[in-house]
Amino acid sequence: MVARKEKSVLEQRKGIGNWFAKRTLEYAWDLVCELVVRDFKTKYKRSLLGVAWALLVPLSMLFVFQFVFKVVMNVETPRFNSFVFTGLLVYSWFSTSLVQSASAITGNANLIVRPGFPVGALPIVMVTINLINFLIALPVLLLFLVLDDIALNDTIVFLPVLLLPQFLLTLSLAYLVATMNVLFRDTTHLLGMVLSLLMFLSPIFYEARRVPEEYLLFYNLNPLVHLLEAYRLLLLGGTIPDLGPLSVLVGLSMGLLALTYKLFSRMSHRFIEEL
Amino acid sequence: MHDAIIVEHLGKKFRRYQTTQANTFKGALADRGWRKREEPFWALRNVTFRIAAGKALGIIGRNGMGKSTLLRLLGGVGKPDEGKIELSSSRIGALLDLGFGFHPDMTGRESVFFTGVISGQTRQEVGRQFESIVEFADIGEFIDAPTRTYSSGMKMRLAFAVAVHIDPDILLIDEILSVGDNTFTGKCLERIHRFKAQGVTIVIVSHSMDPILYLCDEAILLDKGHVVAHGDPNSVVEQYAAMEPKETRRRTPVAAAGTITSSGIELQPNINRFGTFEMEVRSVRVLDRQGNPINEIQSGDGLRFEIGYEAHQQIDSPIFCVIITHENGTVYHCTRTAGAGLDLSKVEGRGQITLEYDRLEFAQGLYYLDVSIYEKGWGYKYDFHVHAYSFRIHASSEELGIIRPPHRWAMSNS
Repeated sequence: MVARKEKSVLEQRKGIGNWFAKRTLEYAWDLVCELVVRDFKTKYKRSLLGVAWALLVPLSMLFVFQFVFKVVMNVETPRFNSFVFTGLLVYSWFSTSLVQSASAITGNANLIVRPGFPVGALPIVMVTINLINFLIALPVLLLFLVLDDIALNDTIVFLPVLLLPQFLLTLSLAYLVATMNVLFRDTTHLLGMVLSLLMFLSPIFYEARRVPEEYLLFYNLNPLVHLLEAYRLLLLGGTIPDLGPLSVLVGLSMGLLALTYKLFSRMSHRFIEEL
Repeated sequence: MHDAIIVEHLGKKFRRYQTTQANTFKGALADRGWRKREEPFWALRNVTFRIAAGKALGIIGRNGMGKSTLLRLLGGVGKPDEGKIELSSSRIGALLDLGFGFHPDMTGRESVFFTGVISGQTRQEVGRQFESIVEFADIGEFIDAPTRTYSSGMKMRLAFAVAVHIDPDILLIDEILSVGDNTFTGKCLERIHRFKAQGVTIVIVSHSMDPILYLCDEAILLDKGHVVAHGDPNSVVEQYAAMEPKETRRRTPVAAAGTITSSGIELQPNINRFGTFEMEVRSVRVLDRQGNPINEIQSGDGLRFEIGYEAHQQIDSPIFCVIITHENGTVYHCTRTAGAGLDLSKVEGRGQITLEYDRLEFAQGLYYLDVSIYEKGWGYKYDFHVHAYSFRIHASSEELGIIRPPHRWAMSNS
């Protein structure tokens, strides 16, 4: 026991940080896995339909949109089902992650008062849970693509390239709303409002090209516009999206992430007092 | 020996929201209207101490005096407003809030991994200890049942088992030793003792003085966020005990009627009787072992005290305490029901507690009896009769000393 401790101190002194770095990564992975798995287990264990709910929510939205836009308003959008379902899945990953992150701290008081618990893991967990929901629904999206006579080709392997910017963007905002909600409980209301407005300001059930020229400058400030375009280009068009704007999005998201994570860490000591 | 924990001038303040209005209109204007005003409240102030690696520190004090806040800050939960905390290691184990992290729908096995990981271990590390954890928790095949089917004792055993398998360098313990059944508490204490032998630095917050005296090398006494005593556990516990009469006196009703005891001494509130009287000592009888009332014995005889009590409301785990004091003021024996194995968890109405001595081998003289009933956390006394009962012990006048061990003289010619 004593001998082992001395050795680990020695390793630290010599700067053989390798083992520590590896352990830290392994630990971070295990922690996120445990929290994500617990969420799935406890959310679906006693529900009848279980994981199917991850599908039912966007599907029901799709049917309502179909009724409103195709039947009532008669809007012509080619391959409507594939088009809207892509938009819905991408948007619900984004919005549900943020809604859940807002209550990530306030809803997990028993975790954050544990000495040594890395509070910063919680927003990552929320974004990951919804990424998994997205991936669960993906086969159904592919089915819609097939039904819409869209030929699937091997460009689909580029999908992860799109998941990365969205993950980073969502996470950077997740830290922001998690911090804000502890300090001002109005955040949940504000967030709900912003997210429902944003749903209409993003090309989910209409095509971005329908937006008049004079509004495009503002419209394009919404990063979701570019993400959604890229997803559709890849899934519906079978072409690899332009990596330039995506790299810019990754860069900006990482900058924002560094900023909001710093804010989160600085404020994290106040979480415990405000709860 | 290097210091494992260094705390310097630590201060922590909390905001207390007040809705009181400003006293004057001018004051209100200066405050820009009647809005909630924050009044800082120092939960801890100017707390300084060091703990050498491998030592155990006890933190005692009444409720709300900052003990748990201090323990949380040591665990890195929250940030000090003043001063600093330095820890020599980041491997911190915590035994707080046992079992509250369990989700009722998760099985014991899942909970072990979950709790282990959120306490800082990788799955692999938990896996290596798994068998040992289950064995320590003594939970058998229930390990694969959802924790909602567990008794509270099982949950606690499992949580404790996970927590003690973390292999920490610093261990923080909050109050957990005062819950649970005796065998389990014994097992916990034994395990904590082993940690100490392995060189783990331990900080214990406790209501009950026994673990402090049993485990700690040093103790600090917190009162209103300040360290009022620091040093050897015995002397700190003594100081804590000395603070207690003040609290009891504060709570003693002024107008309680005087009564005459079986020893013919008048009991008068705030003179020789103190307490809150939610529970009272109604009578104390001094008997020989056959049950006859007596007031004198020969040294070496047995003796029985019958304490009649009445609880005017349901009292949770009161502690009876009897002290025998010689007329010269020396305490010869002090004993209490805590740890005696009596079920006093819910006491209401009248009843009787008996304390029986097989032999009292004290020196001769007049002995006084103090009888008291404490609140379960030793915070104050419900009732306390000071020197209100007495008995005399006779022994041969050829003997001196404070006790009279059984002995005989003999002579043999060789």
